[in-house]
Amino acid sequence: MTVALSDPIALQHNRVTLRKTLVSCALLALALLLAVILLSLVGSEQLPAGSSLCALMSLGTSPCGLSQDQFDILFQIRLPRILLAAAVGGSLATAGASYQALLRNPLAEPYLLGISNGAAVGTMVALVFFGANEWSRPALAFAGSLLATFAVYRLARGRAGATPERLILAGVIVTTFLSSAIVFVTTLMDATRIRSFTFWLLGDLSGTSKALLPFTISIAVIGAIALTLNARSLNLLMLGERDAFDLGVEVGRVRIVVFVVASLLVGSSVAASGSVGYVGLVIPHLARLSLGSDNRISIPAAALGGALFVIVADTIARTIIAPRELPVGAITALVGAPLFIYLLKRV
Amino acid sequence: MQPLNTSRKGVQAATGFTRVPLTPVFLAEGNGVGGTFLLAPLFTTTSIRSLVLICLLLACACNSGRPTRETLQTTREITDDAGRRVSLPERVERVITLAPNLTEIVFAVGGGDRLVGNTTYCDYPAEAKAIAKIGDSLQPSLERIIALQPQVVLITTASQLEVFTQQLHNQNIAIFVTDPHDLEDIFRSIERIGQILGQTEQASELVKRLRERTTAIEQTVQATKPVRVFYQVSGSPLYTIGKEAYLTDLIRRAGGVSVTADVPGAWPRYSDESALAARPEAIILPTGGSMGAANSSVTDALRNSPAVLAGRVHKINDDHLARPGPRLIDGLEEMARALHPEAFKQ
Repeated sequence: MTVALSDPIALQHNRVTLRKTLVSCALLALALLLAVILLSLVGSEQLPAGSSLCALMSLGTSPCGLSQDQFDILFQIRLPRILLAAAVGGSLATAGASYQALLRNPLAEPYLLGISNGAAVGTMVALVFFGANEWSRPALAFAGSLLATFAVYRLARGRAGATPERLILAGVIVTTFLSSAIVFVTTLMDATRIRSFTFWLLGDLSGTSKALLPFTISIAVIGAIALTLNARSLNLLMLGERDAFDLGVEVGRVRIVVFVVASLLVGSSVAASGSVGYVGLVIPHLARLSLGSDNRISIPAAALGGALFVIVADTIARTIIAPRELPVGAITALVGAPLFIYLLKRV
Repeated sequence: MQPLNTSRKGVQAATGFTRVPLTPVFLAEGNGVGGTFLLAPLFTTTSIRSLVLICLLLACACNSGRPTRETLQTTREITDDAGRRVSLPERVERVITLAPNLTEIVFAVGGGDRLVGNTTYCDYPAEAKAIAKIGDSLQPSLERIIALQPQVVLITTASQLEVFTQQLHNQNIAIFVTDPHDLEDIFRSIERIGQILGQTEQASELVKRLRERTTAIEQTVQATKPVRVFYQVSGSPLYTIGKEAYLTDLIRRAGGVSVTADVPGAWPRYSDESALAARPEAIILPTGGSMGAANSSVTDALRNSPAVLAGRVHKINDDHLARPGPRLIDGLEEMARALHPEAFKQ
């Protein structure tokens, strides 16, 4: 198992992996770019496609014959929302992929493990007590998801180690506990805000704050890169913590890095959009099924695929009953829950 | 399975487990899992027989032990807004309301002295605050309600209390549901609540006065050009009023037209870009009152709308608009004055 640089087979293998990674990620990035552009043309209001494309290509410098309202719809409403969808999808899928690798559990997912709920409690506390300061939301969401992560991890470790069943059970316990915390916090709110919150809890990408959008995107990109850089250690960790340690992986350090970075990803996306479920489950599995289980490929591929998935899901959510809207989480769960059942049967 | 069902209902009643959140999905996530876990151990073969026995015993005990509520011989029937035929005793002495507008109606028709319970939101008239609180419209305490021994509970469809309705029905407590979709419906519910309380005359008198005021307002704005209005129920996420909301009718009577008048539903979650594209000439922000500072700013999507640019954002006391009762006519007048100040100059 020693991977020496002088070993020609290992070197060959690494080169193949690198090429495969670059090619598949380039293709996915291209698809993502196309989705961002094409789905910007779709919405509850009809915009002239040619002019919209022209305006998008000019990066908003030229209106290309769009009226002021149409220009605002495209650049103030649709594009920020699509970019937020991409950031949220990328964050959640990356977090899911790395939880699955670290915990050696195909069912580990931020939403199912209650980590999204932890972030949701943090966000709601921020909204109730520090409503004026919008930076308090991602900060407390991060704290909430980090706490939930450690709680699940602690609960899941039995004498026999963390089995998939035990982890899911721990997730259920943390989820239900935090759900009641959410109910408790909602009782502190006035009646009119409760409706908005129940919608937000199921994932809502419309509330794009101008200040938080660049932050959420940066966290998604930095987080995906940071976790991809730890992908080799995660590969070895999939053999078991003991073996990984013997192979020179600093198990404790990697675990902390993954927990903190993944919690940051979940926290920033929940603070921006509520709990969009199942993205962290569906996408990493699709990535592994099509590209293999090497984390050096599957983590960046999941990041790009997750972005693509949530953009598509949100386009459905905002157009299917237009001019009304559905919460995006309802769409992702509609796809994700059947897949979860399928995976549960295979485990 | 009959005894098991009764027992579960019994447990629900005993724990006051009647919370009905707004979204069914949320309910399924929050309670479904816990419920299954708790019930699972009950279904072992060894315990099932004894369980059935216990339940039967409990059911007997409950039936025999329940104080026989005085079922008056002389009853009458009234049809409510849900199309249910509601049996009522000839004279109603004890009423509970589960929404602030219903409390206001009860007081306005002169039945306030018979109101034995209302919600934490019921703050008008001032006497309403001193009445026993049974929780809020969405999370009322069933125990409290039963303990207050009402003959009728008045509710709105907003409460979404189907299960709850069944439980009160089992306790011989009548439920009267209101579900107004326009001003006429509201007048009718005032008259019906008057009938329930035997205050028919006072209710008709009230409705007559409200109608006169409505007509006067409508005549004042009759000659004006209707203003295209966007009604912002909440800004983030954006909610507005749809086809089935009584407010759509109210805006029409105030000399406006809701830009979302054709949207299905009463309180739709609305698309930001459609709101922008609608180019409303005026925006109504229901805020203040018991709402406090909530909903006091226009949603981002409408920041550059003709309404905002022309300074036609009208804040109106939420209590006068969100409560379909007598004070809605105050809201109508405030809205008409905001939309057509020139018409009220004379």
